[in-house]
Amino acid sequence: MSGPLYLAWRYLAHHRAKTAILVTAITLIAFLPIGLNQLVSESGRQLAARAQSTPLLVGERGSRLDLVLASLYFASDPPAAMRYAEAERVDASELATAIPLHVRFRARGHSVVGTTLEYLEFRGLRVAAGRPMAVLGECLVGAAAARDLELSPGDTVTTSPETVFDLAGTYRLRMRVAGVLAPSHTPDDEAIFVDVKTAWVIEGLGHGHQDVASPGASSAVLKREDDRVTANASLVEYNEITPENLASFHFHGDLAEHPVSAVLAVPRDEKSRVLLLGRYTAPDEAVQIVEPAAVMDDLLATVFTVRRYVLAAIALVSAATLVVAGLVFLLSVRLRRREIETLHKLGAARSHVALMLAAEVVAVIAVAGALAGVLTWLSGSFGGAAIRAFLLS
Amino acid sequence: MIRAFSFASFVAFLLSCSPPSEAPAPEAATPSSQLRVFVVNEPLRYFAARIGGSHVEVVLPAPSGIDPSTWTPDAETVAAYQSADLVLRSGAGYADWVDLVSLPAARVVDTSAAYRQRVRQRAGTVTHQHGPGGEHSHGELAHTTWLDLQLAILQAAAVADTLVRARPEHESAFRSELAALVADLEALDGQLAAAAQELADAPLLFSHPVYDYLIGRYALNARSLDWEPDAPPTPRQWRDLAAVVHEHPARWLLWEAEPLTEIERALRERGIESVVFDPCGGTPEDGDFLGVMKANVARFEAASTASE
Repeated sequence: MSGPLYLAWRYLAHHRAKTAILVTAITLIAFLPIGLNQLVSESGRQLAARAQSTPLLVGERGSRLDLVLASLYFASDPPAAMRYAEAERVDASELATAIPLHVRFRARGHSVVGTTLEYLEFRGLRVAAGRPMAVLGECLVGAAAARDLELSPGDTVTTSPETVFDLAGTYRLRMRVAGVLAPSHTPDDEAIFVDVKTAWVIEGLGHGHQDVASPGASSAVLKREDDRVTANASLVEYNEITPENLASFHFHGDLAEHPVSAVLAVPRDEKSRVLLLGRYTAPDEAVQIVEPAAVMDDLLATVFTVRRYVLAAIALVSAATLVVAGLVFLLSVRLRRREIETLHKLGAARSHVALMLAAEVVAVIAVAGALAGVLTWLSGSFGGAAIRAFLLS
Repeated sequence: MIRAFSFASFVAFLLSCSPPSEAPAPEAATPSSQLRVFVVNEPLRYFAARIGGSHVEVVLPAPSGIDPSTWTPDAETVAAYQSADLVLRSGAGYADWVDLVSLPAARVVDTSAAYRQRVRQRAGTVTHQHGPGGEHSHGELAHTTWLDLQLAILQAAAVADTLVRARPEHESAFRSELAALVADLEALDGQLAAAAQELADAPLLFSHPVYDYLIGRYALNARSLDWEPDAPPTPRQWRDLAAVVHEHPARWLLWEAEPLTEIERALRERGIESVVFDPCGGTPEDGDFLGVMKANVARFEAASTASE
């Protein structure tokens, strides 16, 4: 019994190239559908996880997908801005906690996210070094952004102009790094967080300057009449907020009119969620409220539809590959006709020869199956981390 | 054999690797029995401490002797505010540094919400203009709202409501203390009203434009200067005073703090007596807000009696 198996083993070992090719082909046709299914499912799960952890999102009427992608993943162009009063409206409803998001600006390739301290608590973000932002002009850097920009507490980072054709359009602010977040394996790792009021300073809606009423600013005064002072263009405005000039910073106009990109609404309970959804159904409503999970489900349904076509194509290719592999075996038997005749003349029974040939086939399939199993285990165990690295890169 | 051993070792290595574990969930905060309340001025500190009693720990980080309305905390002090269970704001632009820092919005309470419509613009506000935005001023609301004791009562009620929402199990204790506090404030309000009535339209002077609410509540005939109790007036200030007194013949000048003896003497020579009415925005050296206000009322009553 061991004779045919030994001969089968020696044959496969002698024809290494052919054996390797057959094992590789069968491994791939066994692993590809499973691996693809795993990776797509894991990608969908990770994309959906962030959306599922975000109950409701309020934003200006428009593309729901753009709103979700910009607010949750800080990808895509920022959505049209809406008034901060919408955040106050959510808070005033007492149905949910409002967390404003301002995602218009970037600093050295990383999104500058203006928000409140509640965002850190909501996302479970932990400060690994330093502390959360405390005063205007400070920022809290995500783990990947800090690694990429080589930032640590005490360093500074300057915001980037939105376009080279409008360098004076927004306020390039040099921000002080108050802290660095621990890795969260989410898009938050790539972001730089500031208070929403700091984002308004970058937008030019708030600034600090010399006190026009002080004698030291006399050269910056164009006209002074009774209690009214008009300053000229030489009035110094600060592009970095320091402990010395912090008190001079101020905002113009009603803060309720200042812009935000979206408002993350965290309902108090399920009933509050439903009630809040119902408050935005009027046809003349200027803003929309979306459930990010539903939006991502729609997107992923499209992705999974494409996956079915890909799997069908892989199945066709696999069938063709199996046919080719079978043809290779048959051709191999025909080419070994003289070898088989020799075995018969040496006294080998027909059953032993058949067993030898069958053992060759089974061995190839078994090794390929084992390798496919290992690859499946690897993709199942490490595919999530690879996807996070791929999605975040 | 060696190849088989190497392959087996490789497989064993793979089996020993485990997938990366999820980041640990943040630890849930353990609610402490005592509410930690940070405030921005002495009246709020007194109201919260009196109403909350042993159920609250009230903190006013502004150093004693410093006017909290002009104080700006450093980043470390702001971080301490961030750790509070509650942060009570006085409203009316008081401590506008709160607009320049990051505080957990859900835990910040504006205790002036009930009387926001009654907030006054400070007299003599300087507006300025730069760029196309038009005129604006920098936070020149009159912010010593507690000097109108009716507004102080509303503020104390707001403090009580906030504490009750945070610790509903102690509602009866909070409401009981609030009632006692309101009774004290009503008594002071009555005394001030009576004293103001005795004064009738007698002209008064105030050293600083921070008494808008006192003047408005008790319908005082008053003008405000811009003098410091610890800074001798300049000759120009004396001339301005003379011009004011010519139209507004006041016999009393109410100060934020005890003026220098030389100032008091110079004023007396001009027929003007000095009276201290401490707005008590910051932590007093001795006593508390109610004690300071009682002393203020006593001195005010004495002045009104002497003016007859």
